[in-house]
Amino acid sequence: MSLPPASGTGRYFARAAKSIRLIRQGCTNRPFFHISVTHRRRLNSQPVIEQLGSYDPMPNTNNEKLVALNLERVKFWLGKGAHVTDPVAELLGLSGFFPIHPRSYMTAWRNRRTERENIAKLEAEQAKAKPPAS
Amino acid sequence: MSLIFRKLARNNPRNIITDAQILVISCRKLSIVPSVYDGEDPAPKFFSSNVQVLLKRLTRPDFTKVFRKRTSHGLTVLKTPTYKFLTNEELEEEIAKANERADRLLQMPPVVKIQQHIEDVLSKDPALVGYDTAKYIFTDITFGVANEHRFIVERDPDGYLRSCDHDVRKRLNQVYFPTLGRKLREPVMFSDLEKFNSLLDREQYEFVLDRACVQYEPDEPSYQKITSMTYQHVDNKSKYELLRSTRHFGPLVFYLTWHQTMDKLMLELLQSGAVREAVLLTALRQDIHGDVANGDVARTIVQQILPTPVQLTKPETLTEEDIQLDSKCVECIEKYIVSNSSMKSQQELALQGFREHYQQLIELSRGLKKAHGKQ
Amino acid sequence: MTTKILTLGNILSRPINILLKQNNVTSNLKTNFSTTSVACVNFFNKLPAEKLWKSVTSVSNAGAKKGRGRGAGRIRIRDLNRGQMIGVGRINMLWPGLSAPVIRGRELLKQQRLPDDQERLEKLIKIRDSMTKFRRLKLSPIERGWSGTKMPGRSLGPPDPIGEDAFTGFDTKVLQLRSLLIMKGNLGRTRNFQALVVTGNGQGLAGFGFGKAKEVPAALRKAKNRSGQKLMHFEIYNGHTIYHDFYTAFGKTKIFVQKKNEGYGLVCHRAIKEICQAIGIKDLRAKVEGSNNLQHIVKAFFIGLLQQRTHQQLAEEKKLHLVEYKAENEYFPKVVASPSEVRTKDQVQKNETLDFTQYVMNDKVILKKKKFPRFYETMPHYKTYLKKYEKYRNHEKIRLNLKVEYGEVKSFLTDKYPEKAETEA
Repeated sequence: MSLPPASGTGRYFARAAKSIRLIRQGCTNRPFFHISVTHRRRLNSQPVIEQLGSYDPMPNTNNEKLVALNLERVKFWLGKGAHVTDPVAELLGLSGFFPIHPRSYMTAWRNRRTERENIAKLEAEQAKAKPPAS
Repeated sequence: MSLIFRKLARNNPRNIITDAQILVISCRKLSIVPSVYDGEDPAPKFFSSNVQVLLKRLTRPDFTKVFRKRTSHGLTVLKTPTYKFLTNEELEEEIAKANERADRLLQMPPVVKIQQHIEDVLSKDPALVGYDTAKYIFTDITFGVANEHRFIVERDPDGYLRSCDHDVRKRLNQVYFPTLGRKLREPVMFSDLEKFNSLLDREQYEFVLDRACVQYEPDEPSYQKITSMTYQHVDNKSKYELLRSTRHFGPLVFYLTWHQTMDKLMLELLQSGAVREAVLLTALRQDIHGDVANGDVARTIVQQILPTPVQLTKPETLTEEDIQLDSKCVECIEKYIVSNSSMKSQQELALQGFREHYQQLIELSRGLKKAHGKQ
Repeated sequence: MTTKILTLGNILSRPINILLKQNNVTSNLKTNFSTTSVACVNFFNKLPAEKLWKSVTSVSNAGAKKGRGRGAGRIRIRDLNRGQMIGVGRINMLWPGLSAPVIRGRELLKQQRLPDDQERLEKLIKIRDSMTKFRRLKLSPIERGWSGTKMPGRSLGPPDPIGEDAFTGFDTKVLQLRSLLIMKGNLGRTRNFQALVVTGNGQGLAGFGFGKAKEVPAALRKAKNRSGQKLMHFEIYNGHTIYHDFYTAFGKTKIFVQKKNEGYGLVCHRAIKEICQAIGIKDLRAKVEGSNNLQHIVKAFFIGLLQQRTHQQLAEEKKLHLVEYKAENEYFPKVVASPSEVRTKDQVQKNETLDFTQYVMNDKVILKKKKFPRFYETMPHYKTYLKKYEKYRNHEKIRLNLKVEYGEVKSFLTDKYPEKAETEA
């Protein structure tokens, strides 16, 4: 006896809109996501049609974030006209399967900007701290 | 060994010895240096049918050892044996099936060239710099793809999309498609040199090699290092008997022949009176290096030896064909010793001992035959 | 308890004092009275000690009916004479010729009073106390039989040697010891003891015997010696088990015996276990069905063992090779017996039983009962439990791995995200 398999036991309606999305599994303070295909209007807590992969957002000992993708089934569902949510599209973009998602570029640009600002702030503080010394 | 050196190093701050040096020193003492197949690719020669046949024959498969009692698979009690009534034909069929199973059990781990690093940039996207501080690793888990052909790529923080190197590939394959018995972290018996050496000193060669087969791929540098060290240890101690009738004997002989250090094995064969196998060994050297003086003769004798049954023990009576074949073998080896051997005197001595013993055996069996013939 | 005895002792000694006093009185009176006094007859000297003790230790029939004497059996008869010697008493007198030699060295000893021995009474009390406690016979766990201090299951040692032939290496085990009550015309109901023992050397020789006698030790001895004279030899396969499964019966007792591989042990009735140990069989499973009369079980099992056929016999009967397959040897076909001439496939008839187990069981098929699910497995709460604990299924293993790797339950994330309480401290 075990729980129903994560690979999907949800009911399937051929003409309903599908979406490929991240579904949060794991527990408190330990996120873990399944990449699953389910009906667009269905809740994340409900059984999915099929699991297509997984995504672990917490880096492991080697500072890696692991993503698993069943590309064959992703292609199949894309062919069926499934929608892809933004987070999944970002992951697929990073993997080289999709073009890079614009949001990834924006995040990268924002991160670079904040870093630059931080450095500038630091330098300014150092510059402030220096004159009294000299 | 290395512990003493480490202590020395601690006591005398002047002569600081690094770990790498310790390794070299402790190995040199035993004259064991780990080596890998990094020059010419041994795979075509190893997999050629001639060499495979020779290696299998040299393994000298003894079914009592091949089908020896092995640990039950997680069962606390052994299963009850089953019995069958069989006619002669059925028994032969069953034995043929057992032969096939023995072949499977004796299948040799492949000997291949060491793997090359994968350096393959799939795309560069400098606009992604700063997206994340961690790497993203993508694994294609499509059903029915072999581990070596699976797509495993990484997106680095510098925005490069690369194919992963072998160690990462192995790790992720183990994460998503685990192999039974393989560990994600390297077992201490392989990573800790002292523990590994203690295993070798206890002559647990088969255990080490079996475990290495499970833990590593045959083209990994660590696998080749570990197996080469084990083979050298076996060769130094002349404990070939421990690996006979196992799947590791073929690669051992191949390793020794490849590095042209098979004279100790040859000596062991001559001392135990296995002249035919000694000829097989010269033929193997001829196949691999082609430097044996009378290599072609050896090859022709091999063709005569192969149809005869495997000699697990020393023969007690001889037929005329046996005598003919063995005398040919002795001649062939004599030439080999003169022209190619690096342990001439010892091997000649061993061969002389064999000749004397064999002469007695010939007289005995001829006498017996005469006595029987007269009756 | 001791005080009670003391009082009892005092009471017993008192009449003597009285007697002495009376004598004194009479001497004073100087009248010729006979020495046998009538006045001092009382409860204690009217009855013999045996009856007195009985009144203390047991309860009368009528009393028992009323519920008296709950503690009956606790008080035990004590021998008050134990530890006492003639000539030695409360007053420490030296009686030459009674408690001491008449001549010591060269001088003639005289009757004299020695200083009183203070410890004498204490010693006496101690000896009497030691008799009061009811002690159960204690046995070491090795000597012990199947149950407590009862004989069945206990070892008796080898049978007695006959002439010069000693039974070396043999050991006897009691299987049954019971009392038989027989009515006799002139004696009424008499009691006999019957013993059933098995003896064997653990290397194939074994036998069992009965012994009947009026006393237990005699019955056991008879049985032991008789079993030594009824030895049978049994073949043991590879020194650990029987040759094949078999079915055997005696009366209404049926036994299904199964051959097992090394390390299985003896999983059977305790009497069968003892028999197997006597013979030297180490691995076997037996199921007793029907009547579990012990004598029948023993007889049935011995009959079954005697009817066993060795592999060679089986091969000869069938005129076919007998091949063994073992899982631990990767099912390598090992020929255990070959007949002198082997039949070909055409000679094997179509309706012949070729299945080994079926053949050795004489075409008897064991009814294997269906296994029902455990009673709770069909209940709804069990399903809930399984669902609830599904997510914890690997936790134990993970904890173990973490302990191996880090020495405690923590991971690399613990260093990365330390607990807040710790950072404050």
